[in-house]
Amino acid sequence: MTFTVHDLISLSPVLLIGVGILATLIIEMLVKESEKILGWFTFVLLLSVAYLSLILLDHTALVFEDKFLTGGRVNIFFFLFSFGAAVVSLLSMEYIKKAGIHFGEYYIMLLSSVLGMMLISGATDFIMIFIGLEQMSVCFYVLAGFNRRNERSLEAALKYFLLGSFATGFLVFGLGLIYGAVGSLSITEIVIGYETLKTSPLFLTGTLLFIIGFSFKIAAVPFHMWVPDVYQGAPTSVTALMSTTGKAAAFSALIIIFSPIIQAAYPSFFTPVISVLAVLSMLYGSIVAISQNDLKRMLAYSSIAHAGYMLIGLAAWNEKGVSGVIFYLVAYTFMNLAAFGLISLIEKRDLRGTEFSDYKGLGFKQPVLAGLMALTMFALSGIPPFAGFFGKYYVFLSAIEAGMTWLAIVGVISSVISVYFYLRLIVVMYFDNSDEIVMVTPSTSAMLGIMISVLLIIIMGVAPGSIINLINSTF
Amino acid sequence: MNLYDIIFYLFAIITIVSATFVVFTKNIVYAAYNLLLTLFGIAGLYVLLGADFIGIVQLIIYVGGILILILFGVMLTNKITDVPIKSGVLQVIPASIGVGMLAGILILIVTNISWRNMELTVPESTIGSLGMLLMNEYILIFELLGMLLLIALIGAANIARK
Amino acid sequence: MEILQIAVITLVKILIVVTLMLLTVSYLVYFERKISAWAQNRVGPNRVGPAGLLQPFADVFKLLLKEDIVPFAATKSIHTLAPMLALFVAFTTYAVIPIGPSVEIFGYKVDLVVADVNMGILYILALTSVGVYAITFSGWSSGSKYSLLGGVRSSAQMISYEISMGFSIAGVLLFAESLRPVAIVNAQSGLMWNAFVQPIGFITFVVAAFAETNRLPFDLPEAEPELVGGYHTEYSSMKFAGFFLAEYANMIIASAMIITLYLGGWQVPYIEKLGLPDYAVVLIQVTAFFVKMGVLLFFIIWVRWSLPRFRYDQLMDLGWKVMFPLSLLNLIWVAILIMIMN
Repeated sequence: MTFTVHDLISLSPVLLIGVGILATLIIEMLVKESEKILGWFTFVLLLSVAYLSLILLDHTALVFEDKFLTGGRVNIFFFLFSFGAAVVSLLSMEYIKKAGIHFGEYYIMLLSSVLGMMLISGATDFIMIFIGLEQMSVCFYVLAGFNRRNERSLEAALKYFLLGSFATGFLVFGLGLIYGAVGSLSITEIVIGYETLKTSPLFLTGTLLFIIGFSFKIAAVPFHMWVPDVYQGAPTSVTALMSTTGKAAAFSALIIIFSPIIQAAYPSFFTPVISVLAVLSMLYGSIVAISQNDLKRMLAYSSIAHAGYMLIGLAAWNEKGVSGVIFYLVAYTFMNLAAFGLISLIEKRDLRGTEFSDYKGLGFKQPVLAGLMALTMFALSGIPPFAGFFGKYYVFLSAIEAGMTWLAIVGVISSVISVYFYLRLIVVMYFDNSDEIVMVTPSTSAMLGIMISVLLIIIMGVAPGSIINLINSTF
Repeated sequence: MNLYDIIFYLFAIITIVSATFVVFTKNIVYAAYNLLLTLFGIAGLYVLLGADFIGIVQLIIYVGGILILILFGVMLTNKITDVPIKSGVLQVIPASIGVGMLAGILILIVTNISWRNMELTVPESTIGSLGMLLMNEYILIFELLGMLLLIALIGAANIARK
Repeated sequence: MEILQIAVITLVKILIVVTLMLLTVSYLVYFERKISAWAQNRVGPNRVGPAGLLQPFADVFKLLLKEDIVPFAATKSIHTLAPMLALFVAFTTYAVIPIGPSVEIFGYKVDLVVADVNMGILYILALTSVGVYAITFSGWSSGSKYSLLGGVRSSAQMISYEISMGFSIAGVLLFAESLRPVAIVNAQSGLMWNAFVQPIGFITFVVAAFAETNRLPFDLPEAEPELVGGYHTEYSSMKFAGFFLAEYANMIIASAMIITLYLGGWQVPYIEKLGLPDYAVVLIQVTAFFVKMGVLLFFIIWVRWSLPRFRYDQLMDLGWKVMFPLSLLNLIWVAILIMIMN
């Protein structure tokens, strides 16, 4: 096995974050009160990783005996993960102080989860996907229960851990069957042998189990049971990470497996399964979200619905669908980051204050925060000209092109339903009044994170074409 | 039926019978002890298949590490054996449908596939080639597993923090 | 060779090894008492037979004739199983340790090892980890707090020291490029004994071996002032004897392991240059193995009567913060050596 300079340069985002994790560990060990510097250290590190991923966009390389791919679309995912996590680290700094979990390990876990995500998106081998997924999940289990003294946080960690391990069981079982059918776990082998494999019951069942395993991770109905409790119980900054980049990583795994098959223009055998998942997730997520009184829970159900919209793009089984999903993932990531960032600001010290009633009259007391929140809610509900609208637009368009207009129609119906609960928050903020609201002075770091996210939402809404072109160019 | 088959069925019976015990016994300590037998049986099956390294490592890691930790948990939990396990029957119908479907699919597959048969040979030692594979083709994965374990360790230490 | 021949030869070997083990173990107890007497300026056993030489047999009879008491709160089946398991592990471990080179006896080529297994070292490690169960089982099934605490302590201790033990062994394996004990011994010809080549590994391994066998200064599982007798508090008669035997058998295994891995096994440096006939060489080599073992066993007993016991936190500190890094250091040292030699 030999490395060229080119390989090393292309790998540098991953290497940098790996070195960064170890550096964080050492700083945590050697420096007193390291928590204070680690936040900014993590931010800068992740930002430079994001920058590296962007400038190395056309540095394609297949390294480690064809086990890992970088460049092109993979780097877009790298950018999404590291930039998303950078924003999360901004949101975290003050929040974890408030929540009483101000420990250096928080940042180690955050960085490691990003490493796991990167491994998933660059994998060319099922083992890599599995290891990346485990790395990410282990970090999330720990982060979800980071607030040990809070019962809800512990409940979230345990629930997430148990159901996550259960899902991993499906995944490994599926991998076993796939290996039995193919005799290899390399994705290229699967694409090569697809003509014969597509009739092999072993391979189809294996892939089905694999999809089920990932449905847990992307929170698609009927594998969504853990989502509301975990999203609600976990520290809000952690929920921001899990619900955005975590979901994007799980989607990236599906994308890297399916897109070579799509490119080779093989017909899909998974469209029915994925469509069913998509329809169930969209409708269930949107309808149940209506009855939620807790903002974090509401966003959890909305994230289930969003997973459904994104699955439409995969069900469409064409390249437009895949780039639509990637666009949607980017948009969704920053919309949710902004939303959770704002929630974490308004949340009280005892981690309460995430109910709708706590937002009464926020529009008058905290005009800036409320304005940003309203904007985010508009974006999430898919009202133009924000990013959410174009995400849905590209995904629905791909479904129509694939002759699955009914799926797009279900998507539109579900979007209309979802407008209700997003706008409900705006109504509560601007048309109700309450004296209970506490004035919060938002910290600079958190405001910076929220502003970045909101700015990106607007940019993606104003100029979606250039971004979708960028994604398309990486095929 | 030759010697090989007899040994195979012996290990298979040990594995299945003890696994059944693990599932159905009400005493959690007995469940853990029976798990020991299950893991032994599986290790035996591995060795029989010519995967001697995996067999031994199965013993070292599962029997010597993981199960001991389970036993610790059980033993140090006061009176855990006296508490009736409250796994009542909830959602019988959906559960049976789900499990039945999965089992049906798997049985159908296992019986309908034309499995590749290998010649029965005296297996050579696998450890050398395993080592070469781990250090060459799978070096990245090998290293990343180390990273994964490190993270798990930090996480565990963090959860145990005072 | 036919299957039958192999079976007969192996059975004979097993018989010899088990008999030898049982005899050595019973006399080891005798020597322990004699050496402790020497250390404490006493006489020691001197009544049964000349110089007390028949004392072990008297002890065995005494234990056989005693009443077997099983506590009311005990889980009977497991209570009975535990000492058996301990003995089983102790005796089966010896199967892979070579006491001499291959020899020709009555025209058959016989290896002086019961089973020349490819995975020999891993086999020992696996059995050691099974050995933890004997202690855990006895601790839990006795239904006594002292036993339970002893069992838990012992398992925690063994697991902690298994790590530095494993890493020390890894250094040896790197040199021998094999997991076969015979190959490891062969790799230490001349003065290339691993004890000289990788002294840090040797020290960490010896310390870990002490801990694994629950000998002083690491005998916390049965620390009398705190735990009465530890995990075997509630055992009597032959069941107690089972544990007792297993403990001493483990000492023998530990010293045999140390010899095989670090002290050149049955090898005597430069013996082939003396030009002795083959049978004499083999005889000297086998004798050398037993002499080395005798010295090591004396050392182990000597340490027991010279050093005080560690406190539990000191034990864990030593295991995780000293032994573990040291064994890693040893691994790096070996890697450097191999790099230079190639």
